[in-house]
Amino acid sequence: MQFCHAVFLAHFVYLNVLLCAFTVPENRVTLPLQIKNLIIDTQERTPMNPNAFLQISHVSKTFPGVKALQDISLEINRGEIHALIGENGAGKSTLIKILSGVYQPDPGAEISIDGKRCSQITPLLALKKGIVVIYQDFSLFPNESVAENIAITTDIEKGTKFLSWKKIRSTAKAALDRLGVELDLDAPLGTLSVAKQQLVAIARALTFDAKLLIMDEPTSALSKSEVELLFRIMRTLRESGISILFISHKLDEVMAISDRFSILRDGKYLGTFGGDELDNDILISLMVGRKIEYTIYQKHNRANAGKVLELKDFNKAGNFKNISFHLNKGEILGITGLVGAGRTEILKAIYGINHQDTGQLFLDGRKITITSAEDAVRHGIAYMPENRLSEGLVLRKTMADNITVTVVDRLKTKSKLIDRTKQKELVDKWIHELNIKPPYPDMSASKLSGGNQQRVVLAKWLAVNPKVLLVDEPTNGIDIGAKAEIHKLLRDLAESGISIILVSSELSEILAIADRILVMRRGKIAGEFDGATATQEEIMNKAILGVKQPVTA
Amino acid sequence: MKVAQRLKQSRELGILLILVVVSIVITLVAPAFFSIENLFDILKSNVVLAIMAIGMLPVILTGGIDVSVSSMVAAVTIIVGKFLMNVSGNIFLAFLVGCLSGTIMGLINGLLVAKLKIPPIVATLGTMSIILGVSLYYTNGNWITGLPKNFIDFGRITIGSFYRQGEEMIGFPIQLLFLILVAVLTWFILRHTLVGRGIYAVGGNRVSAERVGYNVDRITIFLYAYEGFIVGLAGVVHTSIMRQVDPNAFNGFEMQVISAVVLGGASSLGGYGSVSGTLVGVALFSVINNGLILMHIPTFWQKIVVGIVLIASIGFDVTQKRYRESHNTKVDIEEA
Amino acid sequence: MKSNTDKKTLARLQSKEAVLLFIFIGVFVLMSVLSPTTFLTWRNLQSMAFQLPELGIFAIAMMVVIVSGGMNLSITYTAALSSIIGGLVLSKMTAAGIGPGPTILAGIATFFVVGLACGALNGVIVADIGIAPMLATLGTSTLFEGICLNITKGGAISGFPDAFLWFGNATILGVPFPMIVFVVVVAAAYFLMERSPFGFKIYMIGCNPTVTSYSGVNVKKNLHRVYLFSALLCAIAGILMSSRYNSAKESYGSSYMMQSISAAVLGGTDISGGYGRIFGTVLAVMIIQVISSGLNILGVNRFIINVIMGGILILVLTINFISSGRKANAK
Repeated sequence: MQFCHAVFLAHFVYLNVLLCAFTVPENRVTLPLQIKNLIIDTQERTPMNPNAFLQISHVSKTFPGVKALQDISLEINRGEIHALIGENGAGKSTLIKILSGVYQPDPGAEISIDGKRCSQITPLLALKKGIVVIYQDFSLFPNESVAENIAITTDIEKGTKFLSWKKIRSTAKAALDRLGVELDLDAPLGTLSVAKQQLVAIARALTFDAKLLIMDEPTSALSKSEVELLFRIMRTLRESGISILFISHKLDEVMAISDRFSILRDGKYLGTFGGDELDNDILISLMVGRKIEYTIYQKHNRANAGKVLELKDFNKAGNFKNISFHLNKGEILGITGLVGAGRTEILKAIYGINHQDTGQLFLDGRKITITSAEDAVRHGIAYMPENRLSEGLVLRKTMADNITVTVVDRLKTKSKLIDRTKQKELVDKWIHELNIKPPYPDMSASKLSGGNQQRVVLAKWLAVNPKVLLVDEPTNGIDIGAKAEIHKLLRDLAESGISIILVSSELSEILAIADRILVMRRGKIAGEFDGATATQEEIMNKAILGVKQPVTA
Repeated sequence: MKVAQRLKQSRELGILLILVVVSIVITLVAPAFFSIENLFDILKSNVVLAIMAIGMLPVILTGGIDVSVSSMVAAVTIIVGKFLMNVSGNIFLAFLVGCLSGTIMGLINGLLVAKLKIPPIVATLGTMSIILGVSLYYTNGNWITGLPKNFIDFGRITIGSFYRQGEEMIGFPIQLLFLILVAVLTWFILRHTLVGRGIYAVGGNRVSAERVGYNVDRITIFLYAYEGFIVGLAGVVHTSIMRQVDPNAFNGFEMQVISAVVLGGASSLGGYGSVSGTLVGVALFSVINNGLILMHIPTFWQKIVVGIVLIASIGFDVTQKRYRESHNTKVDIEEA
Repeated sequence: MKSNTDKKTLARLQSKEAVLLFIFIGVFVLMSVLSPTTFLTWRNLQSMAFQLPELGIFAIAMMVVIVSGGMNLSITYTAALSSIIGGLVLSKMTAAGIGPGPTILAGIATFFVVGLACGALNGVIVADIGIAPMLATLGTSTLFEGICLNITKGGAISGFPDAFLWFGNATILGVPFPMIVFVVVVAAAYFLMERSPFGFKIYMIGCNPTVTSYSGVNVKKNLHRVYLFSALLCAIAGILMSSRYNSAKESYGSSYMMQSISAAVLGGTDISGGYGRIFGTVLAVMIIQVISSGLNILGVNRFIINVIMGGILILVLTINFISSGRKANAK
């Protein structure tokens, strides 16, 4: 086994030398502008930290309208577990995509792997260098056996025409042995739990000669004991010299496992710290302690306005537990918490598309049952989903069609056809009112910017004149200016009497516009705050720490 | 324990169980069913269906479909018939010509689907219309009869004649050899070659298949060409059984082939299915057909039964999948 | 403002329907020039007008389902089953000596009831059980065919009242009655699909059922309706067919299945759903009819006509693919 390992490594080093020999001239040809950089760099190549496997500096990434990353520098040592933390939209996944070659950074970035400058990372190069990403969906095949899922990639790489199952099994077994886990090699992957599937994905990464394993939210779907198994395996990998970069929202877990952390906030690098340097409080204040750039709106206590919506003891296995809260008329109720705390699930339950096992729903004091989106809309409840691209908009259709879809039944003429004049008036009204740009009703929704797409989703819901608006991460992935405008829109709607539940992981957003704030943690309500007085630190504390019974107002 | 569990999950076994139950029921009602003559009769009259179903299997595995098989096999029988009549009576050459022409037609389907991104059902509808038109134009719908004697004799060869029925000895028809050949070859490709695993991967999750490095286009072209090859073989085998060529013999046959494959447990959602399952599916299909005749139930019931079983088996799959998905754990609830 | 109007006109000229219209005119003129004495005669035009409605109605029955993101492989057997059971009612009542009035009334009602039952079954299997439409309707087509055969024992149902033959064979002011039915069907389908809220929802469902459902649209209910509508059209086609043949048999019209998919796709319907216009499908049916009649008159073998039809289908899709690739590149 040991010998085998050594051969592996020797082979790998050889491969690397070979690859660098290939990549350098190629860069010369394709990127003449960078030659100068390259030469300077080769001259003073002594890495500042000889123990670093990956070093990046001055990495920026600009998307149209958004600076996703600004001047990031980061070092990942050999054989360390390195956590990358930050809120949603802090730029973590963009950074991963740059490291794995999916995105190219803006010019000026410097990346060295194993002490060698690589002026451009392609997905193939990243893989050959041993940088393997395990995505949240794992990219595995549910009908195929565990052995095949682990080992087939080596055959694909080599282009083996005829397979040896003996070899596939032994490769798979070897990879699993390195993890120190035992799985039934012949079991179809789909029969395994998510945790075991993740182990298969990790084992597959090992067959690539992984030197740096990047894991995106690896614990998000695992139970406590499964997380512990995963951590044990991560430590085993660390012992064998493999570096692990992982993204997580669960700070307690991050602190339990990682040797070092790096923190991103708003696309900026805040620094790297040793595992023992930080405690919860410092970490939280570092993560959230920015100057809030949003306008803070005047908050109102709407307790006297009356309850519009009330949930009593909502439960759904694997989704949420003991959820009771109410929404006052004309208020914005913010629900926050870490990703995977059950916020979206509860919103979808209210909207009838993730029906609760038990629990009663009251609208204006009357008990109602909602089992479909159609029911919800009939009761005047509207829902802006988190993923506007796959759940909010029919991208192939026009802006006008998308705005019309919710109200088409109300636009009938006497002859039961769509009243095109009314439709045009309606669409024009909302384009004008929400200031959607460019103001072309016949433009395909796919061609709009993120902020304007979100306005179209908002428009289609405002068109039904809802009592209650459920909003899930409305400003995800749109630029700051557009975010502020969405905030103003939501605030104006609340003032006009629409009651809003706003789910957001961005605390500053919640604090900017929510009248009242609920914090969720692991499927339960962990606390309630007054939007006028709450601070980021105390909310974050609730999201991470104790679960208490919901405060009844 | 593990084996028992695996067997419990095996769809093939489930279908085999249905086959056994159906056979027992038929035998109880019509004892003639379980006679060697009858079983051999079923075998010989369904060997072409079985071969073609195995050819269709990889296509269904990737979530595709081919409705042009019936026109392809008809065209092959015509080409082979004309070849035997006009060029050479050589049996080996006849097989070569049959398989080659089938492969070319399949290749065209593959290119249309993989390279021009035409949805499989539409692409094969188009080629079906073309192939059928050319075949019927060429033959004017007329039968080709009077095939060379050596070819007819070849089709009558039986192996291991062991049972006496009156004056005649009954044995395994030579055509069975080709079925075994096709079954073993397809099993080998699906199980032991990279392209075979690629077929399952593409059917299971096309995006992941691309991500791990499979060449999806090449796999698609291969499997349609391979299907054509098998259909070519089936055409020659069919000719050797019927000893004449009827250009209209295969009208509507594609539905039978597809039904048999789906009955055999190949998933309409792609990525699941096996040669053994397909064979059991064909057997179930044939046994129901034969049993209905023996039980003096109008054969028309066969279609009703097949239709219902088809919908029921897919419906079961789909419902189960949806149930599992809706009960996924999304949130790790803290137990206080 | 003016340039905007110009742009719109230009866009209209470049639309798929405009191209189809030009192709239709081109083909029509070509056939007229090639065979002025036979093609461009009242007799031939009338005979085309008798043949076209059946394919036309089937094509629309197919197209509306494709627009919803589905597929209906059971259209011809839906028509056959309603013809056979409807035909049974017609012939039994005639044999029992009941007058043609009530007989035809009851017969036609049966056509519709059976057709709608077939559509309801498809709707349940596709929308409620969730089986892929192609396989679901493949299954039901086998089922319907089996039921047909069970009733007819492979034969044909005949013995209809003479008055029933009027539907498929009569002319009103020289216009064949089936053509009049077709025009009504086209108008109804146009208003239902392109002008009514129902049609609007069907197009949205065909594009993205999840978003449409999240927008408060009852996707299941609308899918049920589209399969019912498709089946209703099949029943109408069944009435015309059995009247024209003066009998009902399971194999009548089975070649229309493939042709109607061709017509829908040729007419610009997106096979993956969400797009397609009734007018485009109608034009495609007219093109197919003119080509097949014209070639027939020119003495081209009818089998070669099939080849040409298949070739056109693949050619159109190839052109679609190349032009979409070019558009993507231009971006």
